[in-house]
Amino acid sequence: MASTLLTPKHVTYIQSLDTKRDRLDYHLTEHLRLSGIYWGLTSLHLLNHPTALPRSETIAFVKSCYHPSSGGLGASPGHDPHLLYTLSGIQVLATINALDEIDCDKVVEYVSKLQNPDGSFSGDEWGEVDSRFVYCALNTLSLLGRLDDAPSVSVEGAVGFVLRCLNADGGFGMAPGAESHAGQIFTCVGALKIAGVFEKSLSEDQVNLLGDWLCERQLPNGGLNGRPEKLEDVCYSWWVLSSMAMIGRLHWIDREKLVDFILSCQDEENGGIADRKGNVADVFHTVFGLAGLSLLGYEGLKEVDPVYCMPKEVTDKIVWNHRKTPTSQSL
Amino acid sequence: MNQPPPDSYALDPSWTDLVPLPQDDGEHPLAQIAYTEEYSEAMSYLRAIMAKNEYTPRVLQVTAHIIEMNPAHYTVWLYRAKTLLSLLQSDDGAAADLGRELRFLNDLALRHQKNYQIWNHRQTVVEAMAAAPELVGQMVREEKQFTNAMFRRDGKNYHVWSYRQWLVRRFAAWAGEVEFVDGLLAADVRNNSAWNHRYFVIFGQQGEEGVGDEVVEREVRVVEDAVFIAPQNASAWNYLRGLLGKVGRPLSSVEGLCLTYAPLDNPDAITSSHALDLLADIYAGRKEERAKAIKALELLAARYDPIRANYWNYRAGIIKAAA
Ligand SMILES: [Zn+2]
Repeated sequence: MASTLLTPKHVTYIQSLDTKRDRLDYHLTEHLRLSGIYWGLTSLHLLNHPTALPRSETIAFVKSCYHPSSGGLGASPGHDPHLLYTLSGIQVLATINALDEIDCDKVVEYVSKLQNPDGSFSGDEWGEVDSRFVYCALNTLSLLGRLDDAPSVSVEGAVGFVLRCLNADGGFGMAPGAESHAGQIFTCVGALKIAGVFEKSLSEDQVNLLGDWLCERQLPNGGLNGRPEKLEDVCYSWWVLSSMAMIGRLHWIDREKLVDFILSCQDEENGGIADRKGNVADVFHTVFGLAGLSLLGYEGLKEVDPVYCMPKEVTDKIVWNHRKTPTSQSL
Repeated sequence: MNQPPPDSYALDPSWTDLVPLPQDDGEHPLAQIAYTEEYSEAMSYLRAIMAKNEYTPRVLQVTAHIIEMNPAHYTVWLYRAKTLLSLLQSDDGAAADLGRELRFLNDLALRHQKNYQIWNHRQTVVEAMAAAPELVGQMVREEKQFTNAMFRRDGKNYHVWSYRQWLVRRFAAWAGEVEFVDGLLAADVRNNSAWNHRYFVIFGQQGEEGVGDEVVEREVRVVEDAVFIAPQNASAWNYLRGLLGKVGRPLSSVEGLCLTYAPLDNPDAITSSHALDLLADIYAGRKEERAKAIKALELLAARYDPIRANYWNYRAGIIKAAA
């Protein structure tokens, strides 16, 4: 079992992802390709290999996913626009300092149109509603520097919807009344942080109850699960961990044990990180494993922003440094 | 069921009017696409249809074929939904058989438990069916039956739960939900999703009028029975805490229950860290019993839940600071 981070292997693993075009897997995952690019690129930045993916090709791919008529981005060329991929595309461009490559006003327009009267956001024109999409919307707008002046977006309404997803156990669910779930907590807390209202929205007792729910996710093997009575998983480790960092309660979990758990999920031969030890690695668990290690202060990794899951130096430059009250200070 | 896919779209007379559109691989001339011919052929014909904005029954055939191979392809689902709704409006309304669509989805959902596109699509179909009010009662009953079948395979499937809650709320179908949760908890008393649904139903149904005392007492008894079976079941204790908080009853009303599973004067006999946690809160609220609260938290940190020692010590610190 690896006891250190296998940086060169992870870099090679991520670089190899786009070379497997003759494999069926590659085509069957087309519907999340743009997010895959974001996961790979962010991994490389955290690993201090920011140029390991060719910049011009990355920009060309993002542009090929852009729908000029609506302003949204799809997962791959020919795929319908969706908030999930719109966010991924903007995150990629923000990370490589290329936001001027697409028509950002049009993207803002796309996001604005997806807000519903109750403050929630739909993922696409079909109306699927999920508290995750509030996060996608506010995140996208903030990266574009348009959170405060996006036409017809009610940040207040969005915040109201997120707060209706708060449960009696302290966590947040996908919709009002839905079970608390670590992934939804990450997006709900993140949305409140981006909107700059987290501190005034939840009382100290509520924050402690949420922290209690979150730190209860750590299992004896050190890994974290996403809900009670579920298995540990590297991606849930990130969602729980980043939420704890956002609410200033990171020290409530056992750091050493979690570091060991994430390191044990590395593929020692081919690089990449799996959901748990012995399983097949993928880029999704790779980025969340690396981001988790970064939050835990693992040596040699770039600092990650727990709200954005992007390099902190990028978000400082384009988001936090422009805030009157630097919300990130409380992290 | 959907019309089965042709052996070859290129040779089938009902498809030969189309010029298939292969994938545009853009700036990647290296791409040597050798992935299955079947998938790539079906996708090429779908692209050709989409390029024409055609919404005909054969769209249902080719999208079913692709979904069978790749059920997470959201664009294919959206085009299928658009086609169904468009057919419903057209003279060919019979081609959009919504009952048949649900059977198609049942089969897929059972085989692809993690897929959520299936459930989004299901919501679209059920909304379309609800246009005929006289059919809603039967439809909701059948939808509940199908989600029950899904829960028999996995009682915690998040997509199915969110669909079930949408259904219950959308059609005010609260009747029978508590009994349904009783059944799930009888099968697995640790099912947190079921406890969450219990809370959703008890309070969702009542609206603003609030929940009567007899309901609260019944629910406390449900928790008593559940923790008797599994004292270390976080879900039941969390439910209790949420219930009492919501109706404004003090935690101290369950002090006796907590002491049964966490006798502070006999630490060796403690069987529930959650009972200990509640006791800490109960005693922290009483000035003269703060020492007991600290004892409970110290037991948690040192013995019953050491992985979260930092958290328990933090809480003990707050009480000490207040003293
Ligand atoms: Zn995972």
